[in-house]
Amino acid sequence: MTVNQNRKYVFIGIFLFIGLVYWIKAFSLQIINKDYRGIAENNALNKITLYPARSNVYDRNNELLAYNVHIYNLVVFPRNIENLDTTELCEILDIDRPKFAKLMYSAIDHSKVRKHNNEYNKSAVFYERLNKKQLIQMQENLFKFKGFFIEPSSERYYALEGAAHLMGYLTEANENKLAEDIYYRPGDLVGASGLEYQYEEEIRGTKGFKTVWQDRLYRERGLVKSRNALVKPIPGPEFRTTLDYKLQEYGELLLNNKRGSVVAIEPSTGEVLAMVNKPDYNPNILNGTKRSKNYRKLLIDGRRPLFNRAIKGQYPPGSTFKTVMAAIGLQEGIISDSTQFGCAGGYRMGSLRVGCHPHGSPLDLKNSIRISCNAYYCKLYRSLIDHPKFGSVRNGFAKLAEHWKSFGLGEPLGIDLPGEKGGNIPSLNNLDRRHGKSWRSSTIISMSIGQGEILLTPLQIANVACIMANRGFYYTPHLIKGIGATNSTPKKFTTRKNTSVEKKYFDLVVDGMAMVTKPGGTAGRTGVEGIVICGKTGTAQNSHGKDHSLFIAFAPKENPKIAVAAIVENGGYGASWAAPICNLMIEKYLNRTNPIYSTKIPLLEKRMKETIIE
Amino acid sequence: MSSSFNISRNRFDPAIVWMYVLLVLVGLVNIYSASVDVNNLYQFTNNAIALRQVMWISGAIVVILTIAFSNKNLIPYFAYGFYGATMFLNIAVLFVGREVAGAKSWFGFGGVGIQPSEFAKVGVALALAKFLGSYDVEFKGWRNILKSLAIFLTPVLIILAQNDTGSALVFLSFFLVLYRVGMPSYYLIAAVWFVIIAITCIILSAKTIPILYLIYVFILLASLAIYFLRKSRMAIYLTIGLLAVSGGFTYAIGQFYNGILKQYQRDRIEVVLGLKEDKRKTGYNLRQSKIAIGAGGIVGRGYLKGTQTKMGFVPEQHTDFIFCTIGEEWGFIGVTALFILYMALLIRIVNVAEKQQDPFNRIYGYGVACILFTHFTVNIGMTIGFIPVIGIPLPFISFGGSSLWAFTLLLFVFLKIDDRFSK
Repeated sequence: MTVNQNRKYVFIGIFLFIGLVYWIKAFSLQIINKDYRGIAENNALNKITLYPARSNVYDRNNELLAYNVHIYNLVVFPRNIENLDTTELCEILDIDRPKFAKLMYSAIDHSKVRKHNNEYNKSAVFYERLNKKQLIQMQENLFKFKGFFIEPSSERYYALEGAAHLMGYLTEANENKLAEDIYYRPGDLVGASGLEYQYEEEIRGTKGFKTVWQDRLYRERGLVKSRNALVKPIPGPEFRTTLDYKLQEYGELLLNNKRGSVVAIEPSTGEVLAMVNKPDYNPNILNGTKRSKNYRKLLIDGRRPLFNRAIKGQYPPGSTFKTVMAAIGLQEGIISDSTQFGCAGGYRMGSLRVGCHPHGSPLDLKNSIRISCNAYYCKLYRSLIDHPKFGSVRNGFAKLAEHWKSFGLGEPLGIDLPGEKGGNIPSLNNLDRRHGKSWRSSTIISMSIGQGEILLTPLQIANVACIMANRGFYYTPHLIKGIGATNSTPKKFTTRKNTSVEKKYFDLVVDGMAMVTKPGGTAGRTGVEGIVICGKTGTAQNSHGKDHSLFIAFAPKENPKIAVAAIVENGGYGASWAAPICNLMIEKYLNRTNPIYSTKIPLLEKRMKETIIE
Repeated sequence: MSSSFNISRNRFDPAIVWMYVLLVLVGLVNIYSASVDVNNLYQFTNNAIALRQVMWISGAIVVILTIAFSNKNLIPYFAYGFYGATMFLNIAVLFVGREVAGAKSWFGFGGVGIQPSEFAKVGVALALAKFLGSYDVEFKGWRNILKSLAIFLTPVLIILAQNDTGSALVFLSFFLVLYRVGMPSYYLIAAVWFVIIAITCIILSAKTIPILYLIYVFILLASLAIYFLRKSRMAIYLTIGLLAVSGGFTYAIGQFYNGILKQYQRDRIEVVLGLKEDKRKTGYNLRQSKIAIGAGGIVGRGYLKGTQTKMGFVPEQHTDFIFCTIGEEWGFIGVTALFILYMALLIRIVNVAEKQQDPFNRIYGYGVACILFTHFTVNIGMTIGFIPVIGIPLPFISFGGSSLWAFTLLLFVFLKIDDRFSK
């Protein structure tokens, strides 16, 4: 009986050995290794982002421009699909089988946790924007479709079909954005252009979070019981712009079927009232799942609908530039009110010839503006640059360029939109490179009439109109009027910027501009009865075909309320298109804000709207 | 007390009874935690699984009472009969059983299932005790060895046929019992040697090196041995014999591993051996299990507060992976307590077995200890990543009627036949 009794200890030894080994392993797992607690929390706690509503955007009269729409998406978690009744789902959504397959493949593709792996552990949108009927039917039948659920979401809409370039659009944050700002997570929407981009941080609101239990299948299992488990999102504050919705809409109508830009600014503040670009696009097509498809379409469109001409287009200002030259000439004492220059069908000097249209000669300053005499400005320009007081042509030109820059030319004005261009004021080096070191005033004579190297954006041209309206100063054009309860605009937009020309000289130029829209002026037939519009036409030669039609204007002459610049690409004479458009804009604006100016010019309006300029 | 039940003569060993009660309660408490709905903590009535375990425990009490009131002398008498009956049931289940998770090892009765393989352990323990107990002599003679092997390898084959590899392998623990009865030590050494060969083979297969190379190594070693031991004829024969057996075993393992085991089983084994990266399902379960235990730390995350188990990251958390819940919620302290409890139970069983006068009782006791030990080793070993994920329960703790009843039967039969107090 006692045989092998000692072997009992071998058994006990084996038991204790295994027990000890396991105990040591438990010690290592539970005490030595400190990572597991964190991994477990990562597993089971899910911090879910609660997205705030983006700011609603309003115009200066509290008209809604951009807003959020609550939508419901049918979301699928592909791993959880069980016994799917495809037919019934297709019936409710009113889609056919191929469409179903397409949606499903796309959803499965989007349910990958990361792009290149095969963990299909995310839910993905299966069908976007359920309509009311679909929503009700889906809610009733959701229990039949395992793995599917309905998720509220929001979409950005823009009230104005145009103004696309101003409002911008949203896009999913790209890798750069994700890298530079930890606020964003993959899939977040971020403003990609226009105001949406410019004021992204102000209008995106503040994300909230909720920490929930999450099970193995990534299903929510209730809020964690902790004080910080729920942080509500803060919606973006109401964002007010300087835009005048009605004026913007009207401008878009006038510029229909043309290429060009109209910019209207309130001169006394620099507030942009309208900024019209054509061709444009409907910003609402860059919403939701069709975004990238539509965006690609816009991108390859030869008419460049995505291009914000008003701040990115750089055009020769043509004769509108003569207002600037006149003011500078007066300031430098090259001319006076009574200075007269003769014109024999243009300006000639050796082989150089700058043409002019037939008119009486000689002309004084005001009439040179009224008639837009090229010879007058060629002579003014040469006298200025070659003036002995500067010592050399180079110094003369440098002085002139300095004046130009004080008009906000040659550099971006600093409007609160991304991508603004500065136009072109050539430096001495530029001129050397282009014409050789020995250039003379006659070499660069075209700049006197706003041609040649000079390029301006429509915004800069409109700003020149503002300067004329203000008689010598401007405020940086801007679109922001207020955020939330405060009405404060950033200081840089309320700082007055003076030109290097004194007010009294502008008075003379403005007198000339007032004659432009009266009978005998270059835009004499486009004037609006009852309103004194001060304007200046421009007809700019360019390398893209027919001349560009330009016009700058402001009104009323005293205490101006609005300054406008218009450019109609390849529209021909300034008086043909740009002038009527500007005048109609002015009339519309004044008429609405101040009924005493009420006049309507339906015929002109109709012609503007309906004419197609390719 | 009825006349047939004399408490002084049929006293159950109190230490073992208390440890049993403790283990069952630990089980219930943790099953509740593992299966409770997180949104309805503390509502016992909502927890169907814990309630069912209460039902199973009630059944186990009935089993205990039945044993208590039965005649212990009948037990050895019916040993073979019981063995035969369990074998029959295990064969029958192949034909009329229902399939659960790929294994056809369950009898279904309405909503509940009975797994006959659990009861086969009792049958084998009884039959082996009966067979070996009837020769109170040294364990000798091929005939007896083969018969003992047949007793416990038969259910292995039957249960393998049920496609329940885990439960089948448990029966190999009876091999240890043979050691107590007198199996020479070198059998145990050989067993260790075979395990080493088996693991080497698996490593070679995983690295796609032909297993034949191992046999070449054996031949080389044998040649060297023969060269050095050439003076002793006996040593040469022994070496050649060892070479033949090892080589044959190597070949057999190669065939078994690459031919019979399924890919998922190979994956599991290779993950445990650290040969394969934890990927997809196989590694996922193991990894989540380790995370759960590791997250427990020293004092645990608190009762009902283990997220790994509450959120379903650990698979089979109230059955085979119940240890994770214990590890996560009670921490290293809880694990230590559980280990001490288990070790104490095993040692107590062995000690009581050694005190038996009747070899049947002693051998049966060793059978009980070996089965419990194997379950403990395999079950906890798989949760901490030492052993491939093999689905067998942690005795007395895991949820389930069949296993609780079978282990209760196994243990209390031993307590019943305990003859220390008999005259």
